[in-house]
Amino acid sequence: MPDATDRANATDAADTTPTDSGRGPGRILVVVYGVLALAATGRSVLQIVEYFDRAPLAYVLSALAAVIYIVATVGMARGNRASNRVALVACTIELVGVLVVGALSYAVPSAFPDKTVWSHFGSGYGFVPLVLPVLGIWWLTRVRSRSSGSAGA
Amino acid sequence: MLLQLTQVLVAVAALLTLVALGYTLLDRLIDNWLLGLVALVELGVVVQLGRGLVGIPDLSEHKATFTAYLVTLPFVLAITTLGAIKDKTRWAMASIAVGAFAVVVMTLRLQQIWDLYA
Repeated sequence: MPDATDRANATDAADTTPTDSGRGPGRILVVVYGVLALAATGRSVLQIVEYFDRAPLAYVLSALAAVIYIVATVGMARGNRASNRVALVACTIELVGVLVVGALSYAVPSAFPDKTVWSHFGSGYGFVPLVLPVLGIWWLTRVRSRSSGSAGA
Repeated sequence: MLLQLTQVLVAVAALLTLVALGYTLLDRLIDNWLLGLVALVELGVVVQLGRGLVGIPDLSEHKATFTAYLVTLPFVLAITTLGAIKDKTRWAMASIAVGAFAVVVMTLRLQQIWDLYA
């Protein structure tokens, strides 16, 4: 990894400028996202293969959530400006998803015969799915402004 | 599932969570003590994986969640610990704490599913 001087010497904020999004406190986010991505993907694949007919909407949403978690994990772990932008989009979709699906699961419970990570605002998962995108967006915007501060000089 | 295995595994993983948190606060780096605890937890989740896979056909519900958690668990600490060995900072210790806590939660969830549906 380049040290701070290398970063300061970078002439422009190229897409490959390291942002350290996967280091320091960001490492924690990568771990939590990674665990969610692994567990959600495995579960979602099995749900769709084994009993898709039982709750198609819920399982499609679970699969969507799983993909978004994978994208966010990889984006943060790679830690350059382009990957961070991708991760930021993933976190935003995730936040919108958990809010919309959370609200819908209370409003139209019949559409959700089986739970998804996002139903009831992630209450089945200790509200981690609700808190995580907020933390992710906060962290990604923070490392972005920090790295453009040092690289843009 | 083997209730005793779950109890031991949860206890060791909880201990690892606390020790890793302590290391984070004291700014200590990964050492053999911590690695030993990680190895114990890993051994536990691998045994659990074996036992769990055999038991999947007995489950009436939540097979998907059960299988996914079972298979995910061995990777959680393996990946966080490899990261911590490469990146020697306090945050790496904190990530082990988070990983160990995830092992506690997911193992309890496995046991819960097992108790309800096996």
